[in-house]
Amino acid sequence: MADWWLPRCVFAQRTSTPRKRERRVIVVTFGGGVRYEDTLARDGWVNIPHLASDLVPQGLVYPVARHEGLTGHFNSTGALVTGSRQNVDAYGSEAPVTPTIFELFRKEHALPPEEAWVIATNKSFGLMGGSKLRSFGDPYSANVVLPKQLLISTIKAAVSTNAGPGVEDRRALAERMMLALDEGYEGFGWRVYESGRALGAELKATLAKSLIDYFNDPATPTSGDELTFFMTKEIMNRLAPSLLVVNFWDIDIAHYGAYSLYLEAIRRTDRLVHELWQHVQSLPQYRDRTTLIVVPEMGRDSDVAGNGFANHRSGDESCRRVWLVAVGAGVPKGAGTERPIRTVDVAPTVAQILGFKMAECEGKPLAELAF
Amino acid sequence: MQFNAALTGDAAALARQHGEMLARLPATVHAFILVELEKWPMLFGPEQRYQRALLEHLSRVPTGELDQAVSGIGRIEAESGVNRLGERNPARFQDEAQALLRKRGLIVGWRGEVDGFFQKVDPVLEATLYAADAPRRLVVQLYGSGIAVQRDRLWKRFKGVGLRLPLNLEGTNATEPFLQALFGAGEPGRGGPALFAAAIESAPLDAWLIESHEALHALWKTSETSETSGRNDRGTSSASLTGLSYDRLRPYRDDLTRALNRKIQSGVESPQAFAAYARSLQIVPPAGTLLYAPDILLAFVRDVLITGNGTLLVNNTFVEWAAIQALRRAQPRVLVTRFGVRDKLKPFSSMVLFSQPRATDQIPVAQDPVGSFIDVEQLSYYVWLNAEKNPAYRKKTLYLFLAEGVDEMLAIRSDAPIAAQSGLTPARLSDVHATMAQWLGVSIPNGSGRPIGEILQ
Repeated sequence: MADWWLPRCVFAQRTSTPRKRERRVIVVTFGGGVRYEDTLARDGWVNIPHLASDLVPQGLVYPVARHEGLTGHFNSTGALVTGSRQNVDAYGSEAPVTPTIFELFRKEHALPPEEAWVIATNKSFGLMGGSKLRSFGDPYSANVVLPKQLLISTIKAAVSTNAGPGVEDRRALAERMMLALDEGYEGFGWRVYESGRALGAELKATLAKSLIDYFNDPATPTSGDELTFFMTKEIMNRLAPSLLVVNFWDIDIAHYGAYSLYLEAIRRTDRLVHELWQHVQSLPQYRDRTTLIVVPEMGRDSDVAGNGFANHRSGDESCRRVWLVAVGAGVPKGAGTERPIRTVDVAPTVAQILGFKMAECEGKPLAELAF
Repeated sequence: MQFNAALTGDAAALARQHGEMLARLPATVHAFILVELEKWPMLFGPEQRYQRALLEHLSRVPTGELDQAVSGIGRIEAESGVNRLGERNPARFQDEAQALLRKRGLIVGWRGEVDGFFQKVDPVLEATLYAADAPRRLVVQLYGSGIAVQRDRLWKRFKGVGLRLPLNLEGTNATEPFLQALFGAGEPGRGGPALFAAAIESAPLDAWLIESHEALHALWKTSETSETSGRNDRGTSSASLTGLSYDRLRPYRDDLTRALNRKIQSGVESPQAFAAYARSLQIVPPAGTLLYAPDILLAFVRDVLITGNGTLLVNNTFVEWAAIQALRRAQPRVLVTRFGVRDKLKPFSSMVLFSQPRATDQIPVAQDPVGSFIDVEQLSYYVWLNAEKNPAYRKKTLYLFLAEGVDEMLAIRSDAPIAAQSGLTPARLSDVHATMAQWLGVSIPNGSGRPIGEILQ
């Protein structure tokens, strides 16, 4: 079935004792909901040239992956970071109900907050960094950065003083940026929740300044995911955390019903994933010790059985069928397996790589990776 | 469970007549039916007929059989605690029930049971509602000029389906002559091309034009119903069919957007509350916006714009979603869609939901003819798919696909496959016109075209 992805078979590898903090993991959600047929299926390759030509040959591909929970962004991404299906408010007003990889990782190894990050384009992900469990939660949560929200608050602050960005009409800039950043592809109820883990004031100021500098650069970002990518690089450069979850989300523009914009967003995500991997290679703290896991958090509706690419609410197979590509440390090169996996397998796999326990979750570690 | 539904007229009479049966249904199904009945004045004829047939059918089902048929739904309601909710307003009950089912992780199972129930009921109703000898239907989908049509990819989604026919455009490449040749010019006294007037007699909701721009509407502008003579103060002209134009609706869209934006700025307590607020908005389009504008159509337009993601922002998305909703709800005998070129997305996605980006946007609007072609290929396919899912159209419909300025068309008959043929003589647009007329059983005076045998045989 997926012969073209499977240049050679790969089998489970023996687990070895992890070397904490030596390994780093970046999980990228190829996010917003993307259909298998528009990406990893043969007709979809044209939309993911970097994955198809550059990353897959360097890594391991699972062409048959499945998301089994609710097909909303928060719950499906919640399943990725907890290893269990989540069933909380779709708009992000509730935290996951089981512990996240960030909490487990930080708690077991007594790591500082800078070691675990969520950088998300989706602005409802403020509570993605930690669960609502009493024994976990805030003390062990990941830092969550919603770059668009950070930019909004930065601009608000900047235009209120004379020390802001060098533009003539600060108010116009502020209004324009607020509007540009306040997108919500799904319409009703798309609220902004700013209740994620609060960043330290100094750290927040540093990141905010870098954003403003970025906007003063002629190569301004053209999408939320570009901004997320920029922020990810900043955090990697400054803090070199061991665990990052990067949420790309531009693909959800599919809700606007313009197929060409959806395809364009897929191609942009593909490029950004590739550029992120190149950035990993450029940093000594990451090169040769980083495992990159790329996975859509869910699919989108099929044309015939569902409601078409614009939605992800039918729960049909196309809405659940995804794929996973892993590359980097511990990953066999140019390999693939048709073994069906689930998106909930990502979290225990991360736990194995980084060497922390993840006893109670639905997923199983991906045994084809070397731990 | 007893509900307090706000019902009047026929809806109240139906609820009374079938009250005993309704009370036996699981609460979620009972509430669903009452919510539909509450909307009775805003339901199109086919929707009303469906609800009536549903109630009559369920009342005829023996008690034991009905209890068995809904037992799965009832079990999940009991397990989730839905059946213990105290809310008596059916719409609010629905919201609370959905929330509870989600919270208990039972929403998927519940939805499966409900789908299973209606999968058994609907075929029985369809046999009642859609007679095999019902009049034929016509769906025409047009790509407007300006869309960067790639001939080698045109109607690619329909590979192997229908007949591709060469056209002799006889110089009618531009939009206006193309449309006039295809549909005929306006006929004095009939408010537009005779084809439409004859096909729908005096039922304006039986023929719909839905377009991104205004070219189809212009067919009526040049007819006897002038720009000014037939208008009233509710955004309508006296034309005898239904027309929706994304461009014409711009003032209305702007008003709607402003109202929604104000609400968001002032605070929204929940998605449900926001949706209820949006549904309550009574914004009337300016005079001349709609060809026909009864209250039911105003509600339809509002619902299309607030429930279809992107319909407020992308013209072709509006056309597709409005067409699909019209097919599903109003089931017109004739539907014509005309897609156009959409604007490019601004850097950093400055098309902003429920706000007015252009007012503060300093980047000039640019069109995206290439992206538009990719979009409309998908969207016209979805319109066809949705029509074919509908028993009103299945096996009764001729689908025609044309692109202005392109000397080829695609014809699909849902009642019989049309064999692919080569070496066909190019047809003129007047021949296509005659084909549509013959398919609909309409007599067109002074028609110069000949029906296309390859389609109609």
